[in-house]
Amino acid sequence: MQSRRADLACCGRCAGPEAAARIARRQRYRAAVQPGPGRGLAGADGIHVSAPTDPVRAVTGTLLDISPHIAVVAVAGEEQRFTLTAGATVWRGGPAGATQLRPGERVVVRLVPGRRDVADKIWASIGRVAGTISGWDDGRLLVDEGVTKGCQAVVISPRARNRVAVRFPQLEPGSLIDVIGLRRGQVLEATMPATSQPAYLAYRVARGPAAVTAATGTISGSATWHEPAEPDEETRGIAYPAIGPEAGCGEAATDAPGCVDLPYLAVGSMLLVRNECTGAARLLPVTGCGAVARLFHDRCVTCGTSPRGRVADLTIASFVELGGELERGCFNATISAGW
Amino acid sequence: MLAFVREMQVVLLAVILLGACAAKLSRVLRARSVRVIVDATVLFPRRLRRRAAMALCITEFSLGLSLIATIGRLGRGGWADGVRLATAVFFLLATCALVELREHRPDLGCGCFGDFSSKPPGLRSVARTALFSAAALASIRSGTPPLPPPGLAAAQDLGFLVTELLLVAVLSPELEEALARLGYAEPCEMHTSSPHRAVAALRRSAAWRSHCGLITGDVPADMWRELCWWYVVYPGRGGDVVFAVEVRPHRPAVHTAVVPRPGDPAAGQNASAAQPMPASGHSPAF
Repeated sequence: MQSRRADLACCGRCAGPEAAARIARRQRYRAAVQPGPGRGLAGADGIHVSAPTDPVRAVTGTLLDISPHIAVVAVAGEEQRFTLTAGATVWRGGPAGATQLRPGERVVVRLVPGRRDVADKIWASIGRVAGTISGWDDGRLLVDEGVTKGCQAVVISPRARNRVAVRFPQLEPGSLIDVIGLRRGQVLEATMPATSQPAYLAYRVARGPAAVTAATGTISGSATWHEPAEPDEETRGIAYPAIGPEAGCGEAATDAPGCVDLPYLAVGSMLLVRNECTGAARLLPVTGCGAVARLFHDRCVTCGTSPRGRVADLTIASFVELGGELERGCFNATISAGW
Repeated sequence: MLAFVREMQVVLLAVILLGACAAKLSRVLRARSVRVIVDATVLFPRRLRRRAAMALCITEFSLGLSLIATIGRLGRGGWADGVRLATAVFFLLATCALVELREHRPDLGCGCFGDFSSKPPGLRSVARTALFSAAALASIRSGTPPLPPPGLAAAQDLGFLVTELLLVAVLSPELEEALARLGYAEPCEMHTSSPHRAVAALRRSAAWRSHCGLITGDVPADMWRELCWWYVVYPGRGGDVVFAVEVRPHRPAVHTAVVPRPGDPAAGQNASAAQPMPASGHSPAF
């Protein structure tokens, strides 16, 4: 008997309504066969999720027009106007003025809690490339981000060259890199390092001790963010680094084991993610494989020092709504599976 | 007084140095690369880190062996004191390096004892290294004392040594790590598990026998692994038949539910009959 169909393979950063339907279907099946939260990890029963009264919301879209006080953004085909508060900040490769933004740029807008049309912060054209350096081409660094996203081209901004060189001294094939910068079409102009270069090569991932599992059944580490692989990718969710190997994760960039021991989950599993720096917590679905996150055995030092290992690779909207600052690259996080 | 304890510092320091060297070597041999221990030398310029890591290992090994060679009557005089002074300087430099590491690279472990030193060095690690430096200084000119006579003097020496060992243990985060690893058993949610095995266990279960009449297809419509459970979905009459099979090599528990398909009128008619069977409870495979 054939016990496993070809389409059981992880869809890798699931996109489109079909993927969303599959996630919903799995949640329905799971709830029917094993009702109640906290059935998985020991201790997870004791954790309760309460919806925040005024959660932070974020929207992503294309900038249509901007003035010092108003930004007009196309969000999922609809035009939305956002008022910029006096204290609103803008990031475009660094702190910038609202008038420096150009129509057509992809923007991430963080809204003032409780307000649907007042912007607190805008990131314009922000992008990130994390993966294994595969070579150089015409002055551009080629970075392998896995099967779904393929090879990404990175140009290191001249003004950030020293900064990047300090954190990533080895820009040779096989070395790992993780940089944040301005997205210019297919090329990322790196303006800042997102972490420090691991001491090992990508094919020799150093397997470290497991992320801390406290008595509550939670796992601590670093939560990062990734750019969408496709325009219609789910805006909220997690690319999880430990999708079961039997799922044939479509994004497995390497056969190397993950850096830290994490419980196996599947696309559609629910994960409670908590930002240890702000206290914000969200229940999010696993929407894809965080194959690249498996390679980094780093810590996040946004507030204190997190245990080693990336425990969640969030979509941009989820990262911002959990209180993360995109330009920092990570926040100290605690995850809890089994919801 | 306490001359015996002073001499015993040499043994303690030799064990520490050789243990640190062995832990680093073990990590290098497993990864087949010196790069995995360059955390310990991250304060050096990049091009010097590999050589500095090797020099560190060689120094630890040499000092450890030299300390052992100069225990007792074999190493009286200037040679023995020179080795002990070198050891004290080594630990003093290590203390300064840890302070610098805490200041400039708070995200890195010191790698002092290989894998066991993965946590960033805290004040305890700094204090421990300073203690070793003081112990090395205390062992200089300790001579070759006879064993203390039985009685109060021996108890005093023994008490001092035990206190020192306890202090070292308290100041060693690596000990917690080692104890945690000794008591660690991989939980089921981290076991790799074959889907074929899960389906085979399901087919042997009582839950399968009681629901196979409802199933209309040979092939699962969906199957995925989550934590300690495999979920297997078959198309069926009156809805989809969902099985949850526990990830366990022997006698896995199997839960069952029949979930009506939304928008399926046939399923809707049968839903009242099928839906009352959710989560049928634990059904041993045999």
